[in-house]
Amino acid sequence: MTVTSVDHDQVHAIAQEVFAAMVDGDLGQLLPWEGELPELPEPVVAWVDLHGEWSGRAVLVTGHTTAEDLARALLGLPDDDEVSREDLEDAFGEIANVVGGNLKSLLPNPGTLGLPQVGTQVPTLGGAIRVQHLPLSWRGRLLVVDVWFAAPDSLTTTGGNR
Amino acid sequence: MSISVVVADDSRVMRQIVIRTLRQAGYDWDVREASDGAEAFAAVKAEEPDVVLSDWNMPNMTGIELLRTLRNAGYQTPFGFVTSEGSPEMRATAEAAGALFLIAKPFTPESFREVIDPVLA
Repeated sequence: MTVTSVDHDQVHAIAQEVFAAMVDGDLGQLLPWEGELPELPEPVVAWVDLHGEWSGRAVLVTGHTTAEDLARALLGLPDDDEVSREDLEDAFGEIANVVGGNLKSLLPNPGTLGLPQVGTQVPTLGGAIRVQHLPLSWRGRLLVVDVWFAAPDSLTTTGGNR
Repeated sequence: MSISVVVADDSRVMRQIVIRTLRQAGYDWDVREASDGAEAFAAVKAEEPDVVLSDWNMPNMTGIELLRTLRNAGYQTPFGFVTSEGSPEMRATAEAAGALFLIAKPFTPESFREVIDPVLA
């Protein structure tokens, strides 16, 4: 297995499909980010680990207000409805979970998928290298999808926080 | 008489999406929710539903453990997975354990109908 198993366009296609089906209803809402990357105010990070012959991590990062809007979209709530922190983390974690699950399906010898985790920053993954970095624009706001590759079975975190 | 379903997923948001998608697909079913496999098993024991729709990856009891536990306990409740992973290996494992179908996330009302309609027919 090589670190090149995960192709940039495949990751983008997965993210687009996930957003189209779960959030937007069409494929055109998640585009490559054009220009300088802005600082993300109040970042929210969701990630899911893959364990096995190809071990690594799928990470999604966006700003808090964007994560709130994503939660509203997933729950079918009006734009001005309050979103609890629990629902925000649940929704964003589930998006990372589906992205990670679809990423796993690309791998020739998939292992297991951990449970999604959400925080304000992603913990360091020892010895891992970032193999894909996709700054994307969702409705004009920054959402980053990263894929990290680690040595096989080198991950120590196996579970999520829910 | 309405069909009853137990929807098992550790994500409340995903349970809401599954329930909404069932409605959009035209299935006006009576829904009970379970947040993991153990809760779903208890729900089936309390009142056996017509079908179970379950996530695979859940704390306490996974979806595949739930299915095997149900079959070992003598329940032949129709069972389908709704999961973020749809690899051939997982589909084979699901089928061998007695699942009727596996719907991979992300899904649409159309993908629900494609696998559920033949089972209901």
